[in-house]
Amino acid sequence: MFETIAQVVLSGLLMGLIYALVAAGLSLIFGLMDLVNFAHGELMMVAMYAVFTLWQMSGLDPFILLPVVAALLFGLGVAIYRLLIARALSVRFNKGMVQIFVTFGLAIFIRGFAQYVYGGEFRSVTGTFLGNRTFNLGDVYLPLPQLAAGLVCLLAFAGLLAISRTEFGRALEATREDREAVALIGIDRDRIFALGWGLGAATVGVAGVMLAGVYYVSPNVGANFALIAYVTVALGGFGSMLGALAAGLLIGEVEAITAALLDPSLKQVGMFAIYLAVLMFRPRGLFGRL
Amino acid sequence: MMKRFGLAVTAAMALSFGAHAEEIVIGAVYPLTGNAAPVGLDAKAAYEVAADIINSTHAAIPMVMGQGGGLARLGGAKIKLVFADSQNDPQKARAETERLITQEHAIAIIGSYTSATAATISQVTERYELPYMSADNSSPSLNQRGLKWFFRTSPHDEMFSQAMFRFFQDVGVKTGHKVGSVSLFYEDSIFGADSSNVQRKIAGEQKITVAADIKYRANSPSLSAEAQRLKAANADVLMPSSYTSDSILILRAMNEIGYKPKAILAQAAGFQESAFITGAGALAEGAMSRSSFALDAAKSRPAIPTVNALYKAHNNKDMNDNTSRDITALLVLADAINRAGSTKAEDIRVALTQTDIPGSQTIMPWEGVKFDATGQNVKGTPVIQQLVGGAYCTIWPFDVAVADPIWNVGQ
Repeated sequence: MFETIAQVVLSGLLMGLIYALVAAGLSLIFGLMDLVNFAHGELMMVAMYAVFTLWQMSGLDPFILLPVVAALLFGLGVAIYRLLIARALSVRFNKGMVQIFVTFGLAIFIRGFAQYVYGGEFRSVTGTFLGNRTFNLGDVYLPLPQLAAGLVCLLAFAGLLAISRTEFGRALEATREDREAVALIGIDRDRIFALGWGLGAATVGVAGVMLAGVYYVSPNVGANFALIAYVTVALGGFGSMLGALAAGLLIGEVEAITAALLDPSLKQVGMFAIYLAVLMFRPRGLFGRL
Repeated sequence: MMKRFGLAVTAAMALSFGAHAEEIVIGAVYPLTGNAAPVGLDAKAAYEVAADIINSTHAAIPMVMGQGGGLARLGGAKIKLVFADSQNDPQKARAETERLITQEHAIAIIGSYTSATAATISQVTERYELPYMSADNSSPSLNQRGLKWFFRTSPHDEMFSQAMFRFFQDVGVKTGHKVGSVSLFYEDSIFGADSSNVQRKIAGEQKITVAADIKYRANSPSLSAEAQRLKAANADVLMPSSYTSDSILILRAMNEIGYKPKAILAQAAGFQESAFITGAGALAEGAMSRSSFALDAAKSRPAIPTVNALYKAHNNKDMNDNTSRDITALLVLADAINRAGSTKAEDIRVALTQTDIPGSQTIMPWEGVKFDATGQNVKGTPVIQQLVGGAYCTIWPFDVAVADPIWNVGQ
């Protein structure tokens, strides 16, 4: 009995860390500029295909490829901001609609592009250093790839928190607080936004790389995680890193426990119930500011 | 004068020969564009190979219609295929079937991959009173609608599940590994529901315990809780009905919690896909799956190597579950038209009802082809295959098997 409970809690914890990291990038961009990135899941999918392709070409372990893919995604995030988002922000009419459709359209484009290049087949990164290995404590099993993914997630959060203490982090914070005023004190708002997009994309890129070792890669893989990411962000509080971490862990646990107690096909019911409850009593999310 | 007469005779002869070696138009309705197009295009290639086997002159292939040279009893008439694109949409399939019958003058229709399109196509053929040959539709309800013109060579999903449980009994007798309990694991779709309903029913009839009965959300981010339940139940056989992505994920999720099922027997789908075999890798070793085709059964089905070589030359891949069924369906239909010796629909229908082809005269591991009153082939016996070294080997029925079943793989 104890083993079963421990296994459920641990599985939920490890999944929760991945949910948290997927959501962190979304939360960062939203907090910075009040814009929901509907292509967030697709950015994760791009990272998964990138690591798959690099792994196929070089035979290197996804772990070694992690910084390369994170850098690629950072560049992609900056490019998306400069080429699309900055322009969408500058429109005068129907601003809200334009901002929704620009990332929505981007999502459809990326998905179609992946389908065109890679076809609809499911791909897998196999034979990695940690692949399919487990570590057991008595009767409780810990899959090494997920354990490593969890550690990397924690490190990434530590990194995000460290960044928030730097000059750039304070500029991010200031831009978030009052985007008009920062221009007066010489902060280049456009540059901050571009770097914010880069950082957000790199974060979800890290999540994608870690996930590629345990999940399959397909053009629609982002959609499986995106919905949970939106719920995580709303639950944790828009723009809050700590909120994303707490909400990700909470959702991972609620999902694991619901599936263990109820019919597994109902496992998302628990997480949405919590979400609705939080929405009712604390609409700004657990760690959201008023 | 003589010269002109000679010309006239030649022309008349040509005309009469033309009338003799007439073309027999068969319409094929498949998804040739859209999401399901890869399957439809493979089917098209398979039919082209089958028509070529029937029409061209070549060394005899040891199977029905394998002698070549057209339909002998119709003066060497050739089969002409006309393809139509259903886009995997039942309404478009209906319209295209009408067009094939009224404008292309097809005397029979063959199709159609998805059961939803087969349902509308067979309504049209019923109205126009022409045979519909279902090559690769697997929904059990299709032949239970009282249709007079519906014929299906392939086994349906209920027959597949029955075969799985017969396999359990046979294995119990042969190896002493009795199957006392099964875990059902199926996605929340029509496919998963239908498959598990039949399996649950048969398990009940045979007093086999259903240790776990797990419906899961397709394409979930994680299946670890589901794996946990399967581990707790630890049934003698795990029976998944899952498509590719979830098949990969559940094997990984079970491995992550240190669970290796004693045996896995899948309702094909994802387990037969090459993406699954590479994705799950060593974890899939020893998994079993039902199939209606066995590429490795050349010993008991001598036509397989020749037909597969022809197909491979045409489409650059081996025959699979679907394309082998397509080739077989066209050969069976052509055989009936030939035996009828006529292109009249009623004659062909009667010939179809009299079809009785032994399995050894086909490329399928079936007992044979013989239709019951509903048009279902009652001798379409499926096979069970097992993944050994990354390839599926046929392990049941024992007379077409190439390897013995391995139980408790990895334990």
